[in-house]
This record gives sequence, structure tokens and C-alpha cells, in this order.
Amino acid sequence: MCPIPLRPIAPVQLFCVIACCGLLTSLTHAEAQSKKKKPRQSTPTAVLSERFEDGSTKEIPDFQKHVIPLLGKLGCNGRSCHGSFQGRGGFQLSLFGYDFAADHAAMMDESSGRIVLEDADESLVLAKPLDGDLHEGGQRFKRGSWEHNVLKNWITAGATNNSPRPHTLKKLVVSPAEIQFENKESQVDLRAYAHWNDGSVEDVSVLCRFSSNDDAIAAITDSGQVTSTGPGDTHIVVSYDNAVVPVPVIRPYSNHIVLNPKNFAHPIDRLVSEKLNKLGIEPSNLCTDSEYIRRVSLDITGILPSSDSVSRFLSDTDPSKRERFAEQLLQSSSYAAWWATRFSDWTGNSDEQLNNALPFRNVATRLWYEWLRARLEKNVPYDDIVEGIVTAQSRNPDESYLDYCRNMTEACQPGNESQFAERKGMPLFWARRNFQSPEDRAIGFSYTFLGVRIECAQCHKHPFDQWSKDDFEQFAKLFSPIRTNQNLVASDARKERDQLVSELTGDKKVRGADLRRILYAAAKDGKTVPFGELMVNVRDLTDREKRARALAKKQGKTVKAPPIPTGRILGKPELISLNNDPRVLLMKWLREPSNPYFAKAIVNRVWSNYFGIGLVDPTDDMNLANPASNGPLLDHLANSFVENNYDLKWLHWSIVTSDTYQRSATPNVSNSLDQTNFARHIPRRLPAEVIYDAVVLATGSDQRADALRNNVSEMAIADGKPKRRNQQDFALEVFGQSLRETNCDCDRSDSPSLLQSIYLRNDVEMHQRLTDSRGWVSQVCKELQIPSPRVIGTPQVAANKQRAESIRKLILKQVARYKQASEAQQRKFRPQLERELKRASERLATLGFQTPNLDQLLKEKNPWPTATTAIPESRKAMKYDDLVNEAYLRTLSRFPDPEEAKISMDYIAESENPGDGVASLLWALVNTKEFIISH
Amino acid sequence: MQLSKTCDGIKRRDLLKVGSLTVGGLTLPNYLQMAQAGQISSGRADRAIFIELPGGPSHLDTFDLKPNAPSEIRGSFNSIKTNVSGIEISEHLPKLAKVADKFCILRGVSHTLAAHRLGQEYVNTGSKPIPALEYPSFGAVLAKEKPSDSVIPSLVAIPRAAQGPGFLGIRYAALETNSTPSFGQSYSVRGISLPNGIGIDEVNRRQNLLQKLDRRFSELEKKNQLLDGLDQFGSQAYSMITSSQARHAFDISQEPESFAKQFGEESFGQSCMLALRLVESGVRLVSLQLGGWDTHQDNFSKLKDNNLPKLDAGLSGLLTGLEQRGLLETTAVFVTGEFGRTPKINQRTAEGGRDHYPRCMFMLMAGGGVQGGQVIGESDDTAAGPRHDAITPDDVAASFYHNLGIDPTLEFNSSTGRPITLVRDGRIIRELFA
Repeated sequence: MCPIPLRPIAPVQLFCVIACCGLLTSLTHAEAQSKKKKPRQSTPTAVLSERFEDGSTKEIPDFQKHVIPLLGKLGCNGRSCHGSFQGRGGFQLSLFGYDFAADHAAMMDESSGRIVLEDADESLVLAKPLDGDLHEGGQRFKRGSWEHNVLKNWITAGATNNSPRPHTLKKLVVSPAEIQFENKESQVDLRAYAHWNDGSVEDVSVLCRFSSNDDAIAAITDSGQVTSTGPGDTHIVVSYDNAVVPVPVIRPYSNHIVLNPKNFAHPIDRLVSEKLNKLGIEPSNLCTDSEYIRRVSLDITGILPSSDSVSRFLSDTDPSKRERFAEQLLQSSSYAAWWATRFSDWTGNSDEQLNNALPFRNVATRLWYEWLRARLEKNVPYDDIVEGIVTAQSRNPDESYLDYCRNMTEACQPGNESQFAERKGMPLFWARRNFQSPEDRAIGFSYTFLGVRIECAQCHKHPFDQWSKDDFEQFAKLFSPIRTNQNLVASDARKERDQLVSELTGDKKVRGADLRRILYAAAKDGKTVPFGELMVNVRDLTDREKRARALAKKQGKTVKAPPIPTGRILGKPELISLNNDPRVLLMKWLREPSNPYFAKAIVNRVWSNYFGIGLVDPTDDMNLANPASNGPLLDHLANSFVENNYDLKWLHWSIVTSDTYQRSATPNVSNSLDQTNFARHIPRRLPAEVIYDAVVLATGSDQRADALRNNVSEMAIADGKPKRRNQQDFALEVFGQSLRETNCDCDRSDSPSLLQSIYLRNDVEMHQRLTDSRGWVSQVCKELQIPSPRVIGTPQVAANKQRAESIRKLILKQVARYKQASEAQQRKFRPQLERELKRASERLATLGFQTPNLDQLLKEKNPWPTATTAIPESRKAMKYDDLVNEAYLRTLSRFPDPEEAKISMDYIAESENPGDGVASLLWALVNTKEFIISH
Repeated sequence: MQLSKTCDGIKRRDLLKVGSLTVGGLTLPNYLQMAQAGQISSGRADRAIFIELPGGPSHLDTFDLKPNAPSEIRGSFNSIKTNVSGIEISEHLPKLAKVADKFCILRGVSHTLAAHRLGQEYVNTGSKPIPALEYPSFGAVLAKEKPSDSVIPSLVAIPRAAQGPGFLGIRYAALETNSTPSFGQSYSVRGISLPNGIGIDEVNRRQNLLQKLDRRFSELEKKNQLLDGLDQFGSQAYSMITSSQARHAFDISQEPESFAKQFGEESFGQSCMLALRLVESGVRLVSLQLGGWDTHQDNFSKLKDNNLPKLDAGLSGLLTGLEQRGLLETTAVFVTGEFGRTPKINQRTAEGGRDHYPRCMFMLMAGGGVQGGQVIGESDDTAAGPRHDAITPDDVAASFYHNLGIDPTLEFNSSTGRPITLVRDGRIIRELFA
């Protein structure tokens, strides 16, 4: 079956292609076909399996181009075989290949007998894979097969690793470059052509590794045959040498294309509809106003809208009210507060890791947060924010060491965080304990600013990307000159620091933890304490060395490379000499228009916040094998973001005003199976801090909720709760708040758990919030003049009951005595008893219990068996519809439908105590799925 | 087998009881082959109790004494005989000495991570910590592979879990009690007991209301994992809160006083008893902690007056109690700190202390298929390192999983799709199951 020829749509774009092996580009099907038909005369284009089918061929295979890929294809250098870090059977190959020198050395190890040049057949490299009994890994190829012939010819010819340096693969062209299936079980064969730097082109299809990103959509065989297994879109990933090429595979859900992209004014909608057309998906309708206000409020500010603002918004008739409302949210202080929390996640603002970074305890993380928050509030361009972190210096320009210490001592005092926010740089990023070794920094830097997981390449060739171990090591070296330490200061400041220290320690020699304790104490008293400085430990040649080298050159002597360490930026060929602060060049590289990651990483993370899934997902894992679900859209957003001067608010605004963002969660026939193309809103659990605050706001009195909304700094979304290990707020921990320690966006968890459900249903904190005297239930009970709900979860309840019981017993005793008395005595005692009973009933009412009247007590035999809670007589006459409306608005941001209203009102009316009924209603609403998910 | 007669008081005739780790142990790739061939007995336990001693307990003053070492190493504690001839332990563990036939001492366990957190992660997972990935706790693996029924949680941590579910994901996280039980008092866990002031009738009534109101997404539920999951957790939470089974399992006051007294009156001992009740009622793994082992200063008085009596009472009570209830055969017990402590006593205070020392430490194992009453592995004359081949945390973890019938070479995929072997480098210590 031939693939369906593609309509001339936007060519598949690889978003993260780096010139490590030249620019990898996919040719169209036609181009690739023509290459196949008209091969260059000078190069063998036939595939290796054909060339070596006949054992008599004299061709000598190339170690890098043929032998290692063949071993890879045969599974020899896999993780479970010789690619394991301990090797297997004493024989170790580099995992996923690409360490040619080491692999060659391992094979040539003389004592091993792996290669026997004198008698190729004796070589274990041939003998073992031929013999299933001899080889733990079983038989890998048959005698006389092309695989056998390749290895044999290579050994016979001397088993050389022809070139000391690897050949450079210019590009790997896969054909077809994109597959569109129409039917189940349709099949396509993939071919792959290696274009080497020397101009040769070879069909390497039999040497490539193939894998499918989603077997449920497309399956792939070892030989590159793709079979359609289901509708949807995914990628087949083809790897050879250091190239990784994704091939998009699409099978539409339906055949009728319903959208005309031209009808969409918003670029996001246009690009999304182009993709949906390919898939035959129709998007869901737009969401309702109440869905919109809830969704956009939670997404932009992390805060549940107040019932007032929901009512106002719903009754507003202005057609542009959604845009206006989004604009207001972006201008609010809660926008900056919530997004500073998100940026704190990505930049790794962890109290645990900042221990000892400052001579103040538990301050660093607040400074970091405020530094970010102030910039987001002012909408400082994203690249400028990053520059303040990447190239951070401890001192402001022209600040003396003593001034620096004085200013920092002041900024560290509680409430003075804004003074730190005014400082130019944010060096704390570099001071984290888990960000000290060059390797940790390479990993952390890539995670934060590039959205790339480079760590695989620390030990072996990255299986999903072009990075080799050498790329990683060269990149890591760039970070080696940066030093941070509380005791480290610039050489010109050493004296002043020693002076400051001795003033505080009284000339006693104190070091380490003891010194820290003294500094903590002094700092707390407001005394100026010495701060450490971020130092860049670089060295240039001295003038003398430079002169000597110049002279030597003049005299025609060979001049060795200068003894200055070097490093390399990811994907860049040039060596960077570490004679200057390398961070300046790193920042310059981030800003380069050709940088494949920087703008995309942030655009993708912001996008993910609004849709629960990134255009590239996971959001911190951009690699060649994990392309964007909508490449043109990611390109467009990233490019426009840069054109708009890295304006974050512009980005938010563009997203929330698109139809794509405003889709309903209700699916239709064509889009119900799709998860990745934004044809409907996909519900997700709200982030930990957002749920925490939502519960507090929904259950708190109007006064308390207003106070919080007006000053967000105490809220969880504003980083207002501690996050240290084992000291986290219980609820935030249960709901998966990020500890920011692992260089992974997954440090934050948005998945549900049993503990979360138990917490919301039955935790003492929840019961207390519902029945708190400052809570909303108590507030409405007062307004309606009904008894407050019984307090649950405190000893108060039991105590009240006990008190009521003792009052009951006291009264019953008096009644009994009265009954036994003579009539004359009864007349005398009656008024006194009435007074006692009145006082008791007042006391009982305040405890929430009712009292029988005197007639009942006298007439009935067992008139008052136990103290029972009070039921107000007016309850049936009372109107609860406003109350139910309000309960719905403050939790679910909508009015109840008539049925829900009736269920709720009946429930309250049927409750023994209406206050308890209201509390139960609020309990039920915060426990609905609707409350803790976005919709 | 080369054992010194002089170093730790082991006499020749006891050699049969005391094995040292044979060279090589068992490499994991051979595991299945060997298991199939019946060469290693399969695990017998189906539940576990994991006791952590955070801080790093001194091996020299507990289970690996060196009476003949110089005084700056030996310290002030003497060794005493146990009920297994040839095995001696610290004089401050008299109760454990009487039940030494029920557990196995691993000596000369060795690794290289001297920081508390890193060491803890290592012994808690059996894999050296790496930045890219967090390995799951033993309990999380058990919760995934052998979950308990819905009313009883699979995994309980008293009071908190030192190790999370790692790459397995939050759904395998422990139910953390956040508090420890006290002797003679009733006990419950945050959230699972109905608080004062609300009765079961009212909870049912509320639940009924919730079900009526929570139907906005009923059409979507079947198709959406999130909504489906939320629904499941909701009903699980409801059954845990309203069923007496979970509450009953946690309520240690149900135990007769005579039984409870075996565990001592400290909260650690009572936690051990709680752990016993929990595994008895179907919890797969209970993790406990007894802290305070970071004895840089005043090593001896701290151990003698505080830690050792607590450990002695709690652990001996646990092993005895498990046996009395017929649970020792099905419950794997594993006791470990994150490292040992320096043989040479520092002189920072008059009494002296010991510092972090991962090169040599002890661990204890019992229950399931573990053959009690033996010492496996051996440290050198000054307990400064293993005398022969080191036992690694990886080996012990592999053996612990094996005891629980879980193949330590099991493969998982991380959330990023990266394939991960449960225990990368461990060898099953065959002598444990002799």
C-alpha cells in the first residue's frame, strides 16, 4: 500500500533541530524518491543487506557507518546486553553506540578473543551471535547472512576503526517524510538515507532503529514497516548514527473536513484548525460564561472568582466582556503572585537547597520569590528576567562590599523582601546545594531555560536526541568557573569581610557551623553581617605569557593551545575559552533568534498551564524524538513571543482570547478520543496551592475571603506556605505541591489520590473550616438567625453536650422535688422553678440545645430523657434559595440548576438543624469533582 | 570461610551457625534461571515491616562489637551472649539477645554515601540515588505489585515515609499517620476516623447528598481517567471512613495489656505493635522510624539511656508478637540505618562520639523465608570495613524483594518512558534463605 499523497500543507517542521550533525531536514516524499532513482554515481546507494547478500563481495564495511549501527540493530549495545554499565559476559559496549574509540578498544581487547585477525571465524564477535547455545543472548544472525558477511569482511580486512575522528553525518533523510493513512492495517515501508559530509549518500534503512511513539496509532517493525493500528496522530522515530528523525503519522478520525481555517481570525485557532482538518476532528463548542470566568480566573491568577464577580460577569451584556475580564486578571496582583510561584518551580526555588546560602535562615526562598514577583508585576520582558538570573552578580554595579553587606542585611529583615527585588541580579539561583557541580548545573540549566533533559547524555549517547557524552561534558565545563559559598568574597573585599567577622566574633577564631550560628544571631539583631559573593573563577593569559607566545609564533615555533580551559555550548561547534564569565555568552546564545529552545520552552510551559498538556509534552522534555503535537503552532507562538519583545502578558493574552482556549469540556463524536490537539477542554485536577486556597475561600466568611483576595501574600498561590521537607503544610503536601528539588516539572503532581479524597471529606481541618465561627456557614446562620452548625472536630462538641446534660439533670432533680412537694409548697416554689427553667433554657440555647416547657416536664412520665439539639420553629417558612445560590457561586462559580436547587433546599429543610444542613451542603459542593478540576 | 578467632569472639565450633558471604553471591541475570531450577527458595512473605533507624546507628555498639579492639575503637559497651550460641550483641540489647534465633544479622554491609539523605535513599530503595530519577520505596513497589483491598490501604508509614513512590507515581504513596501511638491510649489516623460531633448517620446522609449533586460530569466519567480516578478515590475514602475495619486496625487499645507490654511503653514499641496489627489486617507494608542515632557527641550515654532500650523492647516485642500470632512466616522484617559510624571515637566531648561511616554498617532481617539465628557477612578487626566481599544495600534490597516474592529484576517504565530495573546492581544473598 502506498501512502496517500499529502496535500500541500505546511511542511513538517522539526522544532528542535540543532546543527550538531548539520541541520536535519526531512525531504518530501517526492524529493526522496527522486534521490533514490538518481543516485550519485560515485556512491553505493544500494542497501547494505543487498551489497552483502553474496558473501564473496570484497567491500570493506566502515566501523562507524556499518559495524556499530549493525551491532545496535542486532541489540548488542542495548541496556540489557553489552550496553549495560557493567557490560555482559565481560564485554561492554557504549550504550546506544557513538563512543567509537571505546567500543573499538573493547572489541580489540587482545586477551578476549573477540576479534581474531588471523582467523576471522574464530572471533567471538562472529562465533557467539551465530550460536544460540554459546551465547546467552541467543542466536542473532545466521551463517552466510548479510549481517554475518558484513562483520566477517570487516574483521578479515583488519577490523579497523578507519578514522580517529567520527565521520560527520550531515543529515538523515527519511522517506516518506510524513504518512497519512486512511484505513486500518494500511502499511508503508520507511527508507532512510544517510548524507555524509563527504557528499556520499547511502541507503541505511536496514541499519536504523525504529520506534513508535504510540503503538495504538502506528506500529513499526524492525525493518521499518509502518502499520496503521488506530486513528489519531503520532510519530515514528528513526535513529541512525547521532541522528534522530521523527516521522509524523496521521490517520483521520473521520473523512469530512468541516473547518475552513480562513474563518478563524485568531492565529492560534487557525493553526489548530489546520491540524484538526488533517485529523477530521471538529472542535467542541465554546464554553459558557460561567465556565469561562472560573477557568480563566483559576488559570491566570490561581484564585477562585468571588460570587459577586461571577454574578456581575454573568449579567454583563458587553460582547467583549471575556476579553475585558482577562485583561483585568492580568493586571491584578494575583497574576504576578501565582506566576512567580510557577517560575519558582521552574527555576528551582527550594528552601531546602538554599540552606546556608545566606547568613539568614529561611529567608532566601522569600527573596527569590519576591524578585520574580516584582518583575512579573511590572511585566519585565522574559529574556531580561532570565538575564538577571543567568548573569547574576552578587553586588549591584558600583556597590562596595560593605554597602553590599549593609544592603543585604537590611533586605533580609522580615518584610524587606522588596529591597532585594530591586537588586539587579538574583545570584541565589547559583547558590543552591543541588546546583554546585558543573554536571548538576548543566542539567539544571538545561531543565530551567531550555526545557531539555540532557542528563541521559551524562553517561551515554542520548537515546532520543543528538547529544553525545562529549556534548554533555563540553557543555558542563562552561559552568565550572562559577563559585558560590557563604564565605567566598572577591579578593578586594577579603579584608573587609575579615574585619566584619572579627567585630562579630570578638577576635575568637570561629569557623564552620559555629561561625554560622554567630552570624545568624547577629543578623537577627540587625547588625551588618558579611555575605558571600558569587565569584567567576576565570584566568586569562598574563601579558608576559601573551608576549612570549607572540614571539614564538613570529619565530615560526609551534605554539600549543593556551592552558586555559574551554567548553562548548550545546550544538555549537566553537570552543569557548573560559577566560571570561561564560554566562555572558550563554545568555547571548539564549537570545539568539536561532536558539531552538529558549523561547519555546517558556511558551510551551505557559501553554501547558492553560491546557494541562504542552504542545511538547512533558514540558521539560523537548527532544528530537518528542516533537510538538502542533509544530507550526509552537513555532508561531515562540516567534511572535520574541517579536513582541518576550512580553509574557502578551503571551497569556493571546492564549486566553483564542477560541481554542474557550472550548467546552463536552466532547463531540469526532473529538472524544483525541487528547493532544486542543479540540475540547480536557479536565485536569487543579494545582495544590489553587485547591488549598479555593477551599479556604469557599468556606471562609465574605469578610475573610475579601481580605485574602485583597492581600494575596498570605495565600498558598503566593508561596505563602512553607515548603521544606517534612515541614510542608499537610494539605499542600497531599495535593502534590512542588519541593523544587528534582529538575523536573513532574516535581509538582496534579494527580488525584486516596489521601486527597480522605482529606477533603473528613479531615479535621475541613470540618473546622465548615463550622468555624469565621466561616461562611456561621455567617449565613447569623444572617438568617438560625443556630450555627454544630462544631465538628473539637472537644467543644463533647463539652457542650456534657454541659447540657448536667443542666438537664439539675432541672429534672428540681422538677422531681417539686412534684413530691405539697400543694402549698408547690405554689411557693413555682415561680422560682420557672425562673430556674428560663435561665437553663437560655443557657441551653446558647449551647445549641432545646428545653421542654414546664407543663411538659410536669405532665409526662419521662419528659426529658436526653439533651437534644434545638430546632427553630420558623425554619419551614425560611427561604433558602438565595443561600443555595450563594453556596454554588462561591464553590462552582455557577448557579444551581432547578433540580440541584431543590435537592439542596430539601436537604437543609430536612436537617434537624438547618445550620448543619448548610454545612453539609457546602461540604458536598467542595467534594464534587466539579470543584477540584478545571472545566 | 575465614573467620578470625580473636576479633569478635566467635569460636570455631560456631562456624556452622555463622556464615560469611560467599564469594560472588548471586548475580541478578541468573535469578530466574536459579529460581526455576529450585536453587533458591522462593519468597514466603506476602507483607512486610520496614524499620528505619535514621541518623545512622553505630554498628560497633549494637550488633557488631569488637571486644578485642583497642579502647579508642571498642568503646565502653560489653557484648553478651544470645540464645544462639556464637552470636553476641551489645549488653544493652538484652531482650533481643533472647530472641536472636528469630532474626539474621548482616555485618560488613558497605556503601559510599555519607550524607544522611543520600544514604537514606540508597538503603530505602536498593539503588544508588541519581538526579534524573527517584526510585520508589519498597512499599510503593509492593502497593503496585500486590495491592491490598480497598478498605485497607496498601502502604502505611508511621509517622511519615522517608521515601516516596518515586517514578511509580503518587497513587502508590503511603498513608502517613503523621503521629505515633502511646501506650494504653486509643489511636487513630488523621482523616480516617469520624471526629467528635458527627455520627455515621449524618455521614451517610451527606454522602447521599454528594452523590446526588456530583453528576455534572457523569457522562464523561467512563471516558476520562481523571474523573474515573477521582470517583474511585472518593468511594474508597468513604468506605475507609465509614468502615470500622481500618479504624479497628489502627486502634491499638484493642490489644490486651499483657500483649501490649511486651513492646515496652515507649511510642516506638507501640508503633511496632501498631505495625503488627496493620499487617495482620492486610496492609502490605508498614514503615516505621526510630530516630536519634546521629551520635556525633555523647555516643554511649545516648545509646544506653535512650535508643537501645527503645529498640530492644520494640523490636523484640515485634518479633515475639509476630510469632505468637503466626505472622512471622509471612511477614518480612527489615531493619536498617543509612550508615554505620566511625570506629574511632572522636573526642569532641568528654564522653566521645562517632561520626558518619558508610563503609561498614549492619542491617537486620527476619520473617518470611529468612533463616533466623545467623550472622551473614563479617567486618574486619576494627569494624572499619567488610573483611571479605562487601554486602551492598543493593544486595539486601534484592533479597528483601525476593523474600516478598517480587523479582528484583522487574522492569518498570518511568513517567518519561525510560525503562528501569527495580534493583540495578543487587545480588540475592542466598544464605539468608538457607
